[in-house]
Amino acid sequence: MSMDAEPSPDTPPPPGDAGDARPRLALVGAAGEPVSPEDQRDRWMVAVARDQDREAFAGLFRHFAPKLKAWLWKTGSSPAEAEELAQDAFVMLWRKAVQFDPARASVGAWLFTIARNLRIDRRRAIHDSWTSLDDAEAQAVADAGCGQEEALSRRQHDERVRTAMSGLTQDQRTLVRLSFYEDMSHARIAAELKLPLGTVKTRLRRAAACLRNLLEECKP
Amino acid sequence: MQTVIRHHPDDALLLAHAGRSLATGPALLVETHLEACARCRQVVLDFERVGGGLLEAEAGAPVDDGALQAVLARLDGPVARPPPPIVRPKPPLPAGSNWPRALRHCRISGWRPMGPGMRWSRVSVPHDPQANVLLLRIGAGKCLPQHTHTGTELTQVLYGAFDDGRSVFDAGDFDEADTDILHQPVVQAQGECICLASVDGRLLFDSWIARWASAVVGL
Repeated sequence: MSMDAEPSPDTPPPPGDAGDARPRLALVGAAGEPVSPEDQRDRWMVAVARDQDREAFAGLFRHFAPKLKAWLWKTGSSPAEAEELAQDAFVMLWRKAVQFDPARASVGAWLFTIARNLRIDRRRAIHDSWTSLDDAEAQAVADAGCGQEEALSRRQHDERVRTAMSGLTQDQRTLVRLSFYEDMSHARIAAELKLPLGTVKTRLRRAAACLRNLLEECKP
Repeated sequence: MQTVIRHHPDDALLLAHAGRSLATGPALLVETHLEACARCRQVVLDFERVGGGLLEAEAGAPVDDGALQAVLARLDGPVARPPPPIVRPKPPLPAGSNWPRALRHCRISGWRPMGPGMRWSRVSVPHDPQANVLLLRIGAGKCLPQHTHTGTELTQVLYGAFDDGRSVFDAGDFDEADTDILHQPVVQAQGECICLASVDGRLLFDSWIARWASAVVGL
């Protein structure tokens, strides 16, 4: 990550440019070897946390903000709320950057959780939900008992998730998506799929158990 | 608290919790369980990773012109600190046990009698008055009247142990009982039992005394 680069918040590329690579943030590692886009995002995140690097922040924003907005929009927010929440999530990412641990989660997974909590907070219109818990305490709870985590790299975790998701049947993937990612109640899923509620619950339980088993099996 | 927890929330509940899509009552119950259970914290962490993968696969919607500048301009702005969570006073618990952190912003009424050796307490969640969450404190060897549910009942054992004929549930254990389960929890003779419960629908007790009690308590 170039350290001598002046932060240049005034000269971002034209809006709508979703490209990750800017000239000064070439996809090349220290020894000149190519860096995968995922590793690049991790590096950007580390640069944000360690050096308050605005270039790296802009790189993350260009990659993730449109995705985050699309997901928020699709899952019930108005376009205006989706835009606002996506922006708020990035302000939160900047402020909580030191808490990011690349060994635990991808930037995407972390942003997803931040955005979802922001939306829950907004809907509750109060601030005593878990996102506002004292950060150190929340971290302590999260860390307790997750010791074996550290042995796996983030990349291995991402690989696990991909393998596990691809091990589900198409129907199971749809159920996981609907209930987890698209924020649909069991009743709505049942209506959508024209299935009895009990059937949806049983299948969802099976899909979730299958996903957990696959995630466990994929541990190297 | 037992070191090995034998009864966990099912995977669909943990998945929904990881996606933050549970209603207030069930979310509170799962959160309380997670405080006690490293195994389930691990599962939730794994499920949260799935969210990152799904987000990564998203095609994306164009953000507003100037969104990046707007965000960059806010980075050095004053941090609006949310007010610290209000920790509300709680009624006493048996020596050696503590209230779960998940409940600290909740209002918990004092213990009220609901039958011989049985007390209960209403747990009010400030942001969701509709959430039907309560605490049951049942004396050693006592049994709750046999009952079934109109909806799902989630229970997390905070202290002591009960046996409902299907299994023994110790401190740290989680139970989910659906409409098809008719059960009569019996508290073990060694000591009283305190459970946190979230009820979706009403409990249906079989005896008229219990029906009366449930009407008074509002279960």
